[in-house]
Amino acid sequence: MTLFRSTNFFFGLFFRFSIRHMAKFPGRALVVLLGISLGAAVFTSVRLSIHASLNSFNQSMEMITGIADRVVTRPGGRVPETLVGPLLKLPYVKSASPFLYTYVQPAMTGKSPFLLIGFDPILDRPFRKWQLQNSTLSDQGIWLDLMRFPYSIFAGQPLLDDLGIKPQDGLTLEHVGQSAGFIVLEALSSEGLALVEGGRVAITDIATFQEFTHIWGEVDRIDLLLDSTVSENQINQIHKMLPEGITLGMPNEDQLSGQRMISAYQLNLSVLSFVSLFVGMFLVYSLVALNAASRRKELAILRSTGASAKLIFFIFIAEGGFFGLVGWLIAIPISSVFAKYLLQGVGETISTLFVRVSVDNLTLSAWEIFVSLGMTMFISVLAAFQPAREAMKVFPKEAMDIGQPVATHRKSSRYLAITGVLFILMVWPLSSIPPPENFPFPGYLATFVLFLGFSMLSSWSLEMVAKITEPALLYLGKEPAWLAGRYVHSSGMRTAVSVGALITAVALFSALVIMVHSFRRTVELWANQTVAGDIFIRSKMADINRYKDPVSQNAMVFFNNLDEPVDIDIYRRLFLNYGKNLYQFEALKWDVYLRYGSFFWTEGNIKTGLQRLKNGEGVLVSEVFANRTGLGVGNLFQTSIRGTWFELPIIGVVRDYRTQGGVVYYSLEHYQDKTGDLNWGGVRVFFKDREKIPDEAVFQMRNRIIECCGDSVNVTLGTQLREAILKIFDETFAITTILLLIALVVAALGITSTLTVLVLERSRELNTILAVGGSYGQIRAMIFWEAFLMVLTGEFLGILCGIALSYLLVFVINKQSFGWTFLYGMDLKTLAVSYPLIIFTALAAAIPAIRMVFKQPPANLLRER
Amino acid sequence: MLPQNDRQRVAKMAIDLIIKAEKLSRIYVMESAHVVGLTNINLDIVVGETVVLKGESGSGKSTLLALIAALDRPTDGELSVAGCNIKNATEDRLTRFRRESVGMVFQNFNLLPTLNVNENIMLPGLLARRDNLSVKKKADKLLQWLGLSGRANHFPAQLSGGEMQRTAIARALINDPAIVLADEPTGNLDSRNSRIVMDLFQEIIGNGKKTLIIATHSTIADHIATMRLYLKDGALQFL
Repeated sequence: MTLFRSTNFFFGLFFRFSIRHMAKFPGRALVVLLGISLGAAVFTSVRLSIHASLNSFNQSMEMITGIADRVVTRPGGRVPETLVGPLLKLPYVKSASPFLYTYVQPAMTGKSPFLLIGFDPILDRPFRKWQLQNSTLSDQGIWLDLMRFPYSIFAGQPLLDDLGIKPQDGLTLEHVGQSAGFIVLEALSSEGLALVEGGRVAITDIATFQEFTHIWGEVDRIDLLLDSTVSENQINQIHKMLPEGITLGMPNEDQLSGQRMISAYQLNLSVLSFVSLFVGMFLVYSLVALNAASRRKELAILRSTGASAKLIFFIFIAEGGFFGLVGWLIAIPISSVFAKYLLQGVGETISTLFVRVSVDNLTLSAWEIFVSLGMTMFISVLAAFQPAREAMKVFPKEAMDIGQPVATHRKSSRYLAITGVLFILMVWPLSSIPPPENFPFPGYLATFVLFLGFSMLSSWSLEMVAKITEPALLYLGKEPAWLAGRYVHSSGMRTAVSVGALITAVALFSALVIMVHSFRRTVELWANQTVAGDIFIRSKMADINRYKDPVSQNAMVFFNNLDEPVDIDIYRRLFLNYGKNLYQFEALKWDVYLRYGSFFWTEGNIKTGLQRLKNGEGVLVSEVFANRTGLGVGNLFQTSIRGTWFELPIIGVVRDYRTQGGVVYYSLEHYQDKTGDLNWGGVRVFFKDREKIPDEAVFQMRNRIIECCGDSVNVTLGTQLREAILKIFDETFAITTILLLIALVVAALGITSTLTVLVLERSRELNTILAVGGSYGQIRAMIFWEAFLMVLTGEFLGILCGIALSYLLVFVINKQSFGWTFLYGMDLKTLAVSYPLIIFTALAAAIPAIRMVFKQPPANLLRER
Repeated sequence: MLPQNDRQRVAKMAIDLIIKAEKLSRIYVMESAHVVGLTNINLDIVVGETVVLKGESGSGKSTLLALIAALDRPTDGELSVAGCNIKNATEDRLTRFRRESVGMVFQNFNLLPTLNVNENIMLPGLLARRDNLSVKKKADKLLQWLGLSGRANHFPAQLSGGEMQRTAIARALINDPAIVLADEPTGNLDSRNSRIVMDLFQEIIGNGKKTLIIATHSTIADHIATMRLYLKDGALQFL
């Protein structure tokens, strides 16, 4: 009861003291709420969009994995189906299900590929859940019709809707070089397997699958269901009975590696979106601090009438909480609009860069909502903490004081600046701490400390800028500029906080412009040098099917008999795991490739290294692979591929920007000798005469390849492929740019809010200037100059902070998150255009404040006592 | 016809009249209510006069001072101060008027906290775009006269109430205005400092060239007054 009464009293007082005061000045509160809600909306929508992708990915993987305890696979190849029998004979193996999957293309529909799963419906029954839409058909055992009728499928309803067909309709499917007519027996009800890839999935009998894809006698994997009492010893027995090169692993390894990649992306985008919220924090601080400072007398009266210091503290903390809560509530509808646009972009980016996801709808997650609300509230309450502490220090005696000039707080600025410099000095050592697995915590901590350090410099820097520019100000802007300089010099934390927000936004802007420019320039160079080739040939849907299907026989014959003035580089690409890390193994013809392409070496001796690579004496690994596995030049690359054990020294480390894990390059001839795998993953065609490659010749060659084997291979021109790489790059960073612009808008709101608050707070001073002979124009000019000095200081420090941050992003955070670094370069042109624009935008943000001057009549000077 | 000496007085008044109010009114519109600040004031003040304006709180003293200082405009009637028609003048004209013709001293001092004593005193001179050097010289003189030389570089927060008010007086005099307006100038001061301030006012009006108007509750300025006015409910009564 006492608690209820205390709570009731507290909120009653909070309403009367704080909410009514806010209602008196709705404009100020609205600006803060707008800023915080924009920040919260960006944060929430980004988190929800990525969560939807992660959710879809996990759901797909879980449904595909089913309840298997172990899975039999063959790295770099497929598993003989004949293993199912011996495995089932083991007493502790309860069930075994051979499983195949591939993406297939609906013919002539222009629709995108979908996932086709092949299994034995009887053997698979214990593993995966799926039902037919018409449950009576399920009960009648119609699902066995999959085995009874060749080339029949059950399909997810979303897939049928997309293709515009219904059960009992036929459709033609294509896979590499094959094409066949299928009949849709029934739609799957939306549960279990039907939820894979948002329902764009179909299942068929294993025999149909193998006949259609020409994979006879082999399966992608065999799932095992083991007895609950199975011992380690028995599991080892399974290992022993498997032929060389075939492994027994956990069923969720692919899921975990996919999750890791999406999570790294989620973390990076979350941090980026958090910046808007962080900038919004300055807005909350600014207003709560104003309320605490401008209501000192009221606070003293409250204290003198019996309010405890603790009560005052919590009233101001509640103000912060109020902004957080209401801002977050306003953010909900804004988030839903943002998320609509982000959902598709984020899903496409994840599909292109990491793992295939299919997201149509936003899934509301209680955890994500809790994170979003919690983070917004935390930020807002944190922002209110210092003003609340100041407010609780007001003495009751102040209630009796008459209006005295407000003392300035210059003495603390130097200490703050020294602390700021110490923080900045800590950035590099912090960023050098080795990160936990794929989690760039030290990098982000260093970034936070960097922002904090520079923000702490703002108060002192404002003093210095005002001091140093005083003669120039007097010369350029006469008395208004001089007065502005004097005010800015002594204004203390109030202006410093707003400048801190601007520093953060400008720093982020500069750093991202530099990072994106460096990244793009490096990727462009990489695309031109390493993604070498005039024409690229690979099996149809090779990318989406992870190069599981080799180039067709007739294509191999065609290229072997080519006597044109071209060289062909044949390569074999396999998607494998090295420990927990997914990577691409590529065996290529070094002598041909190196004639036309090259690598960016970051480690190793190029001169001797290239010859050793040609001799098959070692492997070349990408920076991503090296950073993920901790292996470098001189270390051994040890793995089993298609049953062959490879133990090769790492000769060099090179830059590579393929996003689905790192890359290991090896000599094709030596790979074929060791493994006996003579399949081709793809072909790069180079015209020998590099001086003059007529477009016509390239097109003719492409047409010849299409004529010969266009039904089984994809043919892409080198120029198109490189353009596509850069297009993907640009699309990926479009999201980043939007997030960045929102952070700048919030920072501009911060400037508007701070200046308006400063004007309102100083109405007595401004009226005094008017009373002693200042004109309206002079006073407006003074506010403008104040804004200019704040923006100048914020932008100057922001640029410095941004340059430091760009180093962190390029050499620490990207390395820790994705494993790569890039060639550092500044985009001077963009920065030169952007900085004046930021100044103008920030100065435009001062307009409401300038308009606000003399909202209170000057005669109030005589009335307010 | 007026007697000779009265005719001379009227003629002098016509020449030296510095403030002339005719049917002066200031009505404040507050939401739906009309609040009378001043009503139907007729007033003539000549150069060199020391006027003590009395009245209870809310009687209209501050409103009248604000109108004379051109911080506000009348809603009705006419007000001419030092040749400036306060009701109809442009904003630029009023700014010029405030720079050249009046100096204000407030109860709350209203010094700018970011400027030191010297800069606060110099401020009106600088705003009037007067030569820096001459403003500085004048400020030094005033600082010396007011006994503030040792405090020139101090900020308002470092001063006592008396020092702040002396700084405010110096600021009011820097442009050598014809009229000095003081709104409860001793309201926030102890009796010793109040006496000091009144002595300074006496010195200011000593040569008879400045007109001083002091709005106050107390009797502290009675001894220097040449004219005493009493305001009640916005209406003027001569004492």
